[in-house]
Amino acid sequence: MIAYILRRLVSISVTFFIVSVLVFLMMHAIPGGPFDAQDMPLSEAVRDKLMARLGLDKPLHVQYLSYMAGVLQGDWGVPYQSPGETVIELLARAWPPSLILGGLGVLIGVPLGILLGMAAALKRNTWIDYLASAIATLGLTVPVFVISMLLILVFAVWLNWLPASGWGEPKRWILPIIAYAAIPLATYARYTRSAMLDSLNKPFVTVLRAKGLSERRIIFQHVLRNSAIPMVTVFLPMFIGTATGSIFVEAMFRVPGLGSYFVSSITTRDYPLEMALILMITLMFSGAYLISDILYAWLNPRIRIGGRE
Amino acid sequence: MKLVDISDLNVSFSQHEGVVQAVRGVSLHLNEGESLGIVGESGSGKSVTCMAVLRLLREPPARITARRLDLEGTDVLTASPATLSALRGRVAAMIFQDPMTAFDPVFTIGHQIIETIRVHRRTGKAAARAEAGELLRMVEIKNATDVLAYYPHQLSGGMLQRAMIAMALSCRPRILIADEPTTALDVTIQAQILQLIKRLQAEMGMGLIMVTHDLGVVAETVDRVVVMYGGKVMEQGPVQEIFDDAKHPYTRALLGSMPGQTVGRQRLTEIKGASPNPVYPPTGCPFHPRCPEVEPRCARSMPEFSDLGADRQAACWRLQ
Repeated sequence: MIAYILRRLVSISVTFFIVSVLVFLMMHAIPGGPFDAQDMPLSEAVRDKLMARLGLDKPLHVQYLSYMAGVLQGDWGVPYQSPGETVIELLARAWPPSLILGGLGVLIGVPLGILLGMAAALKRNTWIDYLASAIATLGLTVPVFVISMLLILVFAVWLNWLPASGWGEPKRWILPIIAYAAIPLATYARYTRSAMLDSLNKPFVTVLRAKGLSERRIIFQHVLRNSAIPMVTVFLPMFIGTATGSIFVEAMFRVPGLGSYFVSSITTRDYPLEMALILMITLMFSGAYLISDILYAWLNPRIRIGGRE
Repeated sequence: MKLVDISDLNVSFSQHEGVVQAVRGVSLHLNEGESLGIVGESGSGKSVTCMAVLRLLREPPARITARRLDLEGTDVLTASPATLSALRGRVAAMIFQDPMTAFDPVFTIGHQIIETIRVHRRTGKAAARAEAGELLRMVEIKNATDVLAYYPHQLSGGMLQRAMIAMALSCRPRILIADEPTTALDVTIQAQILQLIKRLQAEMGMGLIMVTHDLGVVAETVDRVVVMYGGKVMEQGPVQEIFDDAKHPYTRALLGSMPGQTVGRQRLTEIKGASPNPVYPPTGCPFHPRCPEVEPRCARSMPEFSDLGADRQAACWRLQ
C-alpha cells in the first residue's frame, strides 16, 4: 500500500513536470506579449526595458529553468495584471470565495442528487422518477448562467428576499451556492439512479430477500454500498472542478473569486499566474485521482491496490 | 400440517410483448420431511412457482393469484412485508442456480452468513461467527475459519454453492427450496452437492423442493416428482413409479430423451417441436402440438387430473 502510494507520487511529479513544460511552451506559442496594448502602446524602449526586467528577453529554456527554480523554492512570481501582490497572495485572496461557494455547492448538491437518484431508482417509472429525471436533465442542459439569471430574477428582483450579487455576509452566498450546486446535483441524480438500478437487478439482491432481510436493510447496507463504487470515482474530480471557481457563476453574482483569472491570465499573457493556476489544478487532480483510487480499493474488495495479491 | 400447500396458483408477467402466463393453475404440496422434485424444461414455470411461494418475484410486473398459497400454515399472499421477511430464511430457505452471483461481492462470506443468523435470532456477534464456522464445516468446507474471511470472488463455484447451502441452513429452516442448485457447476462437483443436500435434509428433517430440468438429479434426490410443462402440472407421483411407469406422454418423452436408461448403445429420442409461447399458450393441453399421441379433443380443453393410485395423478385425455 505504502509502496503503491510512493509509486503514484513519483508518477504525479513526472506528470507535473511534463505539464509544466507543455503549458510553458503553449503559453509562449500564443502570439503577442504582456505589453502589447493596442490603445495606449508603450514606446519600444520602455517595453524592451520591462521585458528585460521580467527576464522575458532571454531564451525560452532559460526562462523555464529560472521559473521552475523559483517554483521549487516557493516563489511563484508576481502576476503582471496585479503587480502589487505575489501570485501566492493573489491565490490566497481570490481562492477562498470560490472554494467556499464551490465546496458548499458540491456538499449540498451531491447529497441532494444522491437522494433524488435513490428516490428515482426505488420508485422507477412513477412520477417521482420522471420528476427526478426532468430535474437532472434540466440541471445538466440549462447553462449555469441562465440558472443564475433566473435565480436573481426570482429571489432578488421579484421576491426581494436576497441580494442579487456581491460578496461578504453569508446571505450573499446563497444564490451563487444554488447555482453552483445545479451540476453536481444533476450529475449525482443520474449516476445514483443508474448505479442503484444496476445493483438492484443483481441476483444477490434476490438472495438477500430470500434470506429474510428487510427491504430497507437490503438497500442501505448492500445496494448502496455496491452503487457507491461508480459514484466515488466522480466525486473528487468534480469537487475540484467546482471548487476552483466557475467563471460564469462568479461573473453573474460579481463574486471576487478565482474563475475570471483563468481567462484573464490567458488574454493578458499573464505568464506567472497562468502557470500557477494550471500547475495547481494539475496537482489537485492528480491528488484527487490518487485518493479516489484508494477509496475505490477500500470499497471494492475485488480490487487489490498495487496489482499483486 | 403441509409445509407447502399450493392450490390453483397463477403467475403472469406484464411485458411489452403481452402478458406472459408463466404458471397456469398449479396445485402441489410438500409434506413434512418429504423431498419433492419439480421437473420441466426451461419455461415450464417450475422456478417461477418456487419464487412465488416465497413472494420473491417483483410485483409488478409479476401478478400472483391463488386459491391457496400457504407456507407452514401461513398465507403468503396476504402476509405483510414483515411477516414475509420473518418466514424467508427461517421457515423456508432457498438456494439458487448460480452461486457466483448469489453473494454480495463487497462483503465477506462470514459477514453474509452472520447477517442471516442475526436477522432472525438474537445472537451476539462472536457467537454468530462461531456458528457460521460450524455451518461451513457442516457443508464440508475444510478451512472453514479462513473461508469466513474470504470474499466471494476468492472461492470456486463449488465452494460458493456449499457456502450458500450453509447460509440457507443457518436458521434451521423447515423447508429448503433448491432452484437448479447444480446446473452452473462442473459435473464432478454436481454429485457432491446433491449428496450434501440429501444428507443435510435427512439430518435436519427438512422438507426439500428440488427444482431441476435434469431427471438424473430427481432420481438421486427426491421421493416424489411433479412434472411441469407450459405452466401446468402434467403428472405427479412417487419417483420410482414415474420412472417405471410414466402415464403422461410428456413424461414418457422426457424420460426417453434422458441418457443412460438402458445399458449399451442407444439413440436418444428428442421431443419434436419447441416449447410453447408463454404469451399465446396453446389451447387445451399445452403439450398437444408436440404430443405423439395427440387427439382432436386435446386442443379443445385441458383434461382434469386422473387419480392413478396413492398420491399419483396425471392430466391426459387418454387416461380419462
